[in-house]
Amino acid sequence: MRGVIAHYRELDALVEGIETFRNANLGEVTVYSPTPRHEIEHAVHAPPSGVRRFTLIGGLLGATFGFWIAIWVSRYWPLVVGGKPVSSWVPYTIFGFEVMVLVGALATVFGMFIHSRIPRLTHAVGYDPRFSSGDFGLWVACDPDKAAEVEQIMHRTGAVEVRRER
Amino acid sequence: MASVARPVPAKDVEIRQRPNIASADVQLPAVRDYEQVDREITATLSPTGAWYLGLAVAVFFLLTGIAAWMYQIQQGLGVAGYNPPVMWGVYIITFVFWIGIGHAGTLISAILYLFRAGFRTTIYRCAEAMTVFAVMTAGLFPILHLGRPWKFFWLVPYPNWRWLWPQFKSPLVWDVFAILTYLTVSTTFLYLGLVPDIAVLRDRETNPIRRRIYAVLSLGWRNTDREWRHFARMYLFLAAFSTPLVLSVHSVVSFDFSMSLVPGWHTTIFPPYFVAGAIFSGLGMVFTIIIPIRKWFGLKHYVTLNHLDAAAKLCLFTSLVVGSAYMTEWFMAWYSALQVEQDFFWNRLFGQWWWSSAILYTCNMVLPLSLFSQRLRRNTTWLFILSIFINIGMWFERFVIVVPSLSHEFNPWQWTSYAPTWVDYAILAGSFGWFSMWFLLFIKQFPVIAIAEVKEIVAPRLRTEHEHGIDVAGLHVDYERETPGEKE
Repeated sequence: MRGVIAHYRELDALVEGIETFRNANLGEVTVYSPTPRHEIEHAVHAPPSGVRRFTLIGGLLGATFGFWIAIWVSRYWPLVVGGKPVSSWVPYTIFGFEVMVLVGALATVFGMFIHSRIPRLTHAVGYDPRFSSGDFGLWVACDPDKAAEVEQIMHRTGAVEVRRER
Repeated sequence: MASVARPVPAKDVEIRQRPNIASADVQLPAVRDYEQVDREITATLSPTGAWYLGLAVAVFFLLTGIAAWMYQIQQGLGVAGYNPPVMWGVYIITFVFWIGIGHAGTLISAILYLFRAGFRTTIYRCAEAMTVFAVMTAGLFPILHLGRPWKFFWLVPYPNWRWLWPQFKSPLVWDVFAILTYLTVSTTFLYLGLVPDIAVLRDRETNPIRRRIYAVLSLGWRNTDREWRHFARMYLFLAAFSTPLVLSVHSVVSFDFSMSLVPGWHTTIFPPYFVAGAIFSGLGMVFTIIIPIRKWFGLKHYVTLNHLDAAAKLCLFTSLVVGSAYMTEWFMAWYSALQVEQDFFWNRLFGQWWWSSAILYTCNMVLPLSLFSQRLRRNTTWLFILSIFINIGMWFERFVIVVPSLSHEFNPWQWTSYAPTWVDYAILAGSFGWFSMWFLLFIKQFPVIAIAEVKEIVAPRLRTEHEHGIDVAGLHVDYERETPGEKE
């Protein structure tokens, strides 16, 4: 992957850089930040996360499985007591709820993994350990012919360190 | 994920820093920048002599408990002090106790997150770890309570050669699933919340082996905007799942009692009463853990008195809820006009078990009233002492629920007594050793304060004054170890 990586010390400089690159349309932008900041989220203009779909589907599947296995088991080996229904939904709600939470939560985590593209066991191009400490990073994926222009914008918006990666 | 990312305007600074203000303010005036957060929190990971000593003591108690359990397996459950019909004793009491301890962790990490209570930020990691280890401890006790503990997996519905399945109408089966779900979701919540912090450790680590381990555990986390966006959404949904889960788990535990017809157990107040008691006991344990940690690890400027003050208010509130539940029980016994219920409560309060009830009410209803005093809420010595009383009181609450009911059922010929044996006490001590061992190991491998979330409430470096009115210089005071208003 080719592109240019910039280090920013200040948050507002980074935000200016993100907005400039978004308007200039010079390449795909990735922001590195030691902590989530609403300013970055607004500047990036990312679509809503798709993790919620995994949560919904996982929760529904879990609840369905929880009720199904309890009903199936009670019908497979019926214990008729006092003429009461063999499959009684009231106590099975507890089991259905617990399995809904379990499967829904695990599906949510799975969805986050899919969307965030983790686990990742290889080093990402341009990543610097300082991005988990105090610095912000801005990676712009671009062809070498546009790299000079990208570097110029980065310097102008307040980047303290700029380098090309290939 | 911290709840409040935007610092308050500079005009509020004076109000924030006035000493002895009862406030849940999330600001950390003595924390200047992100590097300081990394440096000070990762510095707590170096083992010390006191830590090794604490670990040795914990392992000693654990080994004592294991030895007692081995003796019990060899001799049979009779060595555990059961006296028919009192066939539930210290193990079930301690099971409910530890499950309850876990609840405050989820309250702080999930419920307070949804309520945007900023004071949770610096204490939630400890509380969450406490939850996981407390549930791990609690899960052992139903197994210890079994005559043939190696058959515990019979409660799990798995295809076996005779196609025998568990009874899904039994509260004991609900218990298994509630606790396993709770353990799984709490552990997931703790681990995934740790991932960005493990990435910090990975990037700072110089030892290649440890660095490699951290690299694997961090899942290749790189702090990209994409990762944070999906992470935040996942965290929100996990919190939203954990909130009803934590309420359901102790409700299910209370069904173990309330689904029976035993006097004192067969009551509809049990689920909310158990949940409130659980959160109350867990907050007590949070204080027991966090107060020494903030002192010994030099983290008083992270876990400030404002945070403890806010948590103490929550503790007071849950104490009042629990106290009103106790009084409702007395009222219902009188109002029901059932002789067996009234006799049982008389025996609990003034008869055979008066001493355990006295401990319970003193520790859980009377002493926490001291938290109405702002001075005592901000006095860490008193908070620590009170937390010990709350832990004792909440263990005795479960004692008072379990033992007096079983020893004073419907017919006088059934009435009996109960006294734990040395095996019970050794296993109880072993459970504290087990819990402490895991917790001590945790605090030296992973940050006890969430680094990424603390950075959310620390004002970022800015080139110019922010359009929202954020002025870094205006928000910060000179760095000092003691937070303004700190009196100990």
